[in-house]
Amino acid sequence: MLENFYLMLTGAWESFRASFYLNFIQDDRWHYIADGLAVTLQITLFAVLLGIVIGLVVGIIRTTYEKTHKLKILNLICGFYLTVIRGTPVVVQLLIMYFVIFGSSRIDKVPVAILAFGINSGAYVAEIFRSGIQSVDSGQMEAGRSLGFNYLQTMRYIILPQALKNVLPTLCNEFISLLKETSVSGYIAIQDLTKGGDIIRSRTYSAFMPLLAVALIYLVIVLILSKLISILERRLRKSER
Amino acid sequence: MNANQNGALIQVRNLGKSFGSLEVLKDITVDINKGDVVCVIGPSGSGKSTFLRCLNRLEEPTSGNIFFEGVDIVDPRTDINKHRQKMGMVFQQFNLFPHMTIMKNMTLAPMKLQGISQADAEKEAVKLLERVGLADRAEAYPSQLSGGQKQRIAIVRALMMKPDVMLFDEPTSALDPEMVGEVLNVMRELAQDKMTMVVVTHEMGFAREVANRVMFMDEGKFVEEGSPEELFGSPKNERLKSFLGKVL
Repeated sequence: MLENFYLMLTGAWESFRASFYLNFIQDDRWHYIADGLAVTLQITLFAVLLGIVIGLVVGIIRTTYEKTHKLKILNLICGFYLTVIRGTPVVVQLLIMYFVIFGSSRIDKVPVAILAFGINSGAYVAEIFRSGIQSVDSGQMEAGRSLGFNYLQTMRYIILPQALKNVLPTLCNEFISLLKETSVSGYIAIQDLTKGGDIIRSRTYSAFMPLLAVALIYLVIVLILSKLISILERRLRKSER
Repeated sequence: MNANQNGALIQVRNLGKSFGSLEVLKDITVDINKGDVVCVIGPSGSGKSTFLRCLNRLEEPTSGNIFFEGVDIVDPRTDINKHRQKMGMVFQQFNLFPHMTIMKNMTLAPMKLQGISQADAEKEAVKLLERVGLADRAEAYPSQLSGGQKQRIAIVRALMMKPDVMLFDEPTSALDPEMVGEVLNVMRELAQDKMTMVVVTHEMGFAREVANRVMFMDEGKFVEEGSPEELFGSPKNERLKSFLGKVL
């Protein structure tokens, strides 16, 4: 009885080892995963930065219009952008970006993906910033203006620092979603982390091991980011006292 | 019309303000002279705060002109930001910047807007903090202060810009009763230093003691004005009589 169990365990271990060897070690297949991870992180990082820039500009334009009814045309453009981007799937946006907008030019795929994901993320970040700016008491704007600061100076020195602090956790969560969303990069044949695992599967005809590895890597990155967010949140709460 | 004929610091001419169809201020003409301590009293909803907020254009007047030091600040070509630096304002809700220390609250505007060095700004801030008895709180954050302390800081923050007039919008209305005195004391000292002040207030004792002019506003107009003795001692207007009957 015990011997049978032992044999079963060693059998399972052996087949795991064999599968591990086949999928990751043989022909240096782990490179697909490692290189894919590098591409995923690269796309995510730059798309995040682009998203912040777009989101900040759009968010300020939208709140400025709501408060002062200035920038009407810019606000209309921003409204159109938000509607289109948030109303269509990111995969479709990625495909349009690659096959339609850059369809006739020979351009690197990774920058195209960064652009597509950055523009997509910007729409969500804009709404986060907008709610953050709105969450700052209107008396703050009045106090800034009454001291002689103009609208943009008041935004910069007084409103935005407070707004940013309010939305930082939400913003970080948006970036976690973005990291996971980049897994559709394979649609335009970018070899990101997900695609890397998929290539291994097509070579070795075993799905379990490469996909498990891919899922685990996403999970670990997300867990690390979540941990960082909660540390950040605690710090912010402390500084409020 | 020559704006600067009589040399008043603030000349309000035919000022009107409407919110939609609601007419809050009706054709107000009034002068505020240098050194005046003007208390604006009146029932709530009469337009006192709106009047005060029009003086530095936190509310855009619907009609009329306001001349501050001879310049029409209602004119859209006027750089209002420049003139606001000379008009300090204190709010009912203090509106200190919660993400900055008291020192930073006070030095931000003079450093960014007037190009004053950090060392000079901090020296001036310490001087003012000592004056209001809060020198030891320079590195504290607003949330660590009591309401009365916050309002005293709000006053000296406005004074950092060396304004020519101070506007007070119900400065003690959000305070616990035991903290009203400390804020009024600071304002009293300011008046003794010949600061020009326009104070919207419900503190009749303060108005009576410190103001040289009291103006009673009702339904968007100043219906009676005079020295505190006249206004409180022998009110003529019926509305003022009934108002004083309720608040005194």
